[in-house]
Amino acid sequence: MGLKLTRGSFAHPASSLRYHTGSWRMERPVHRHRPAPCHTACPAGEDAQAWLALIAEERYREAWEKVVAVNPLPAITGRVCHHPCEVACNRGHFDEPVAIHHMERWLGDKAIAADWDYPATPLAHGSQGVAVIGSGPAGCSAAWQLSRRGYKVDLFEALPVAGGLLRSALPHYRLPRDVLDAELERLLASGITFRPGQRLGRDFSLDELKAEYAAVFLAPGTQRSREWNIDGATPHDLHVGLDLLKRWVDVGTIPEWSSAAVIGGGNTAIDLARILRHCGVETVHVVTHQSLPRAGVEQIDTMSAIPREIEQAMEEGVIFHEHRGVQRLVLRGEQVIGLELVHRKELHEADGSKRYVSFEGTESLLHVDQVIPAIGQSVDPAGLSTLLEQRSHLDASEHGRLDGHPGLYAGGDACGGHGSVSAAIGDGRRAALAIERDLQQQTDSAEPAADPVTPAQLNMNYFEPQARQHAPVLPVAERSGEVEIIGTLTPQQAAQEAMRCLSCGNCLACDNCWTLCPDIAVLKTRRPAEDGSHYLFDYDFCKGCGLCARECPTAYIMMEPEQ
Amino acid sequence: MSHRELRQNQPRFSGLESGHRACQGCGEALAARLVTEAAGPDVVYANATGCLEVFTTAWPDSSWRVPWIHSLFENAPAVAAGMEAALKSRGKTTRVISMGGDGSTFDIGFQALSGMLERGHNVLHVCFDNEAYMNTGIQRSSSTPHAAVTTTSPSGKERMGKRHLKKDIVSIVAAHHIPYAATTSVAYPSDIRKKVRRALAIDGPTFLHVHSPCPLGWGHDGALSIEVARLAVQTGLFPIIELERGRLAGSMPIRTVHPVTDYLQLQNRFRHLFVDDARAREELEHLQALADHNIEVYNLRGTRPDNRDSEGADTVRRGGLRWA
Repeated sequence: MGLKLTRGSFAHPASSLRYHTGSWRMERPVHRHRPAPCHTACPAGEDAQAWLALIAEERYREAWEKVVAVNPLPAITGRVCHHPCEVACNRGHFDEPVAIHHMERWLGDKAIAADWDYPATPLAHGSQGVAVIGSGPAGCSAAWQLSRRGYKVDLFEALPVAGGLLRSALPHYRLPRDVLDAELERLLASGITFRPGQRLGRDFSLDELKAEYAAVFLAPGTQRSREWNIDGATPHDLHVGLDLLKRWVDVGTIPEWSSAAVIGGGNTAIDLARILRHCGVETVHVVTHQSLPRAGVEQIDTMSAIPREIEQAMEEGVIFHEHRGVQRLVLRGEQVIGLELVHRKELHEADGSKRYVSFEGTESLLHVDQVIPAIGQSVDPAGLSTLLEQRSHLDASEHGRLDGHPGLYAGGDACGGHGSVSAAIGDGRRAALAIERDLQQQTDSAEPAADPVTPAQLNMNYFEPQARQHAPVLPVAERSGEVEIIGTLTPQQAAQEAMRCLSCGNCLACDNCWTLCPDIAVLKTRRPAEDGSHYLFDYDFCKGCGLCARECPTAYIMMEPEQ
Repeated sequence: MSHRELRQNQPRFSGLESGHRACQGCGEALAARLVTEAAGPDVVYANATGCLEVFTTAWPDSSWRVPWIHSLFENAPAVAAGMEAALKSRGKTTRVISMGGDGSTFDIGFQALSGMLERGHNVLHVCFDNEAYMNTGIQRSSSTPHAAVTTTSPSGKERMGKRHLKKDIVSIVAAHHIPYAATTSVAYPSDIRKKVRRALAIDGPTFLHVHSPCPLGWGHDGALSIEVARLAVQTGLFPIIELERGRLAGSMPIRTVHPVTDYLQLQNRFRHLFVDDARAREELEHLQALADHNIEVYNLRGTRPDNRDSEGADTVRRGGLRWA
């Protein structure tokens, strides 16, 4: 061969790798995990995005462990929670929100069926433990969080069985007892010492607890019904909503009326109204000064009951009277024969105060046999009078601390306000963290402001519409009050639903950055990289064009100014 | 594992390597890498003069991992034809790809391309279309779209950017009665991959026209290259079609047709159309009419959502699975 190549006419393959184009960069791409809106919206603090991703990868047990690290009762909350996560879900702006509560329930049920152990931790902090009063959602949550951090925990319950309000007041059609029993039994077997039949103020006092334990978390719930009368008048056979509900849940009977009116707009009112219907009460009314949930109505003016439950109550024939108040009881002797209703609203003043206004000229008569107030409860002062000081609820800080009472913490319904199971679970967890910090003599670190990923930050070009999976619902005619109304997703449905999660603020491992980098400066890793993603930026070559950040479907890549 | 080792162990073949001198967000660099990735290692390339040739081979380096030749602006298809004939005479099945920009394909090397197609060489010609002579400083080519500003088609008293229309190169190429000619866009990597493989599976001359935004020449942020390319498709200004033996054999339907202004307003080369001027309004209407015409002649309006349409074709999934 006579051909001779001169040095100027050839180059070695990929020899340009010695030229580092990274020096051109003004901005650098970084992986930045930001919370998904479902995460910041969850009162219990669950990161649904994280565990949905694990389900999508068929890592079911890890997904469940991710849930229980925050919420030990997923089979329960998956059934009873009002799921604000789904209202916040970014997918709702695209087609329909991910069915997070169905997925949580499916995962909780799977853990029960497979009997996965709660990941227990050996005792690590000496013999002086923490006392938790009340085994409702707040108490169970605090006990679990302390126990999984290596604390010795005694969980006190006045009744012979655990569960608190979950057991005493949630109707079976919303929370079957086999699910409740299975989940609580498994949780309590994780290393918590359960002490049933121990009532505060009867079997022990607060002072005794303070002497024996390093810290005490109080979650006694609200056991006392508020006084109710209309201008001093009450029917002689007055039944209070929660008591009636508890009696039905416990004994399974309810007085036989032909018609009844339940006063209130919370979950107790709705549960009770539905049970009355299931038990054959012909006409059941719900009277509330608030509005039915509908678009455009402010949260503060909306009934606090779960919209799904209100909808089902309507299907079952419960009659709702919104923006109505009871002005007068129509009595024959001491027997109710009707109610005088009036249009009534809560008006909010500019200074934040509120007042009820009844509108003259809107009075009407409602014939009923019985009126049942379900207007809220207060803490039973037995054993707690020094803390309550005449108030109806305990006054705990954001971290569950009780001002002026070091070593005492509180949460759940006893602190008033929210009244949801998931909020109580969040209270328990935050208080447990505060207890740990106080015992370790650490200070509270400032929590970063919740800055969830917004729909506009996602690149929706890369997603396709996909219908939400629906769980079966029991037809109205078959609803007896005992059988669960909403069913469970099939494993196939769950797998599909997990793939609907957009993975907001986290790596989807979709290869988009790796595929689209013009400078081959994104490298795919074999195993997840340190930050949990599947890619590395090679800053020797990245020119900082920002294409990867712009095209990242999940807003996981951010551009930062180069130093 | 160091970055260097990781780079050598990527689960894909790439014919183009880092260290090339393309501008930030270069659509052509991305398109070229995607083509080499789809073509695989058993391919030799002839590259015409142009951006791609210049930025990948700054002396004494090369960014190529594949056998690659550059001769002149006008002769890449002719060089490729010679390479193909030589390989054929030695009984080798190695494939040959000739590459060029719109300058070499539409204008300067057009007769070499036409000759290669006419002689029936087993060569794929890939045109990376960035719609002007970017390498020499953004002069208009016959691919520059109507009304776009380049340094040789300025807007002013006489004209609102380029007076003439973009040459319909794919129809001209297809008129050679070749087995396969197609258009694709850098916004749809899986479409590029599919069409490169399809073309290389065919015995005979084939042609692939890749729309590749140029942030510098078009006047948009480098981060927007994919967004701009995607909108060119979704407005109908750059139809994604396949022609076999000169006849339409497939197209990418547009699920949601965007107005052309969505595409134009992202680019400074069309900025003069967004002023209060009757001529500007007329040119906007003209460009919209051109898009409408494309949609009509290629029947691009999607009838129902489809995973191969303009919105479905770039869907991503956990684990990196794309449909193509």
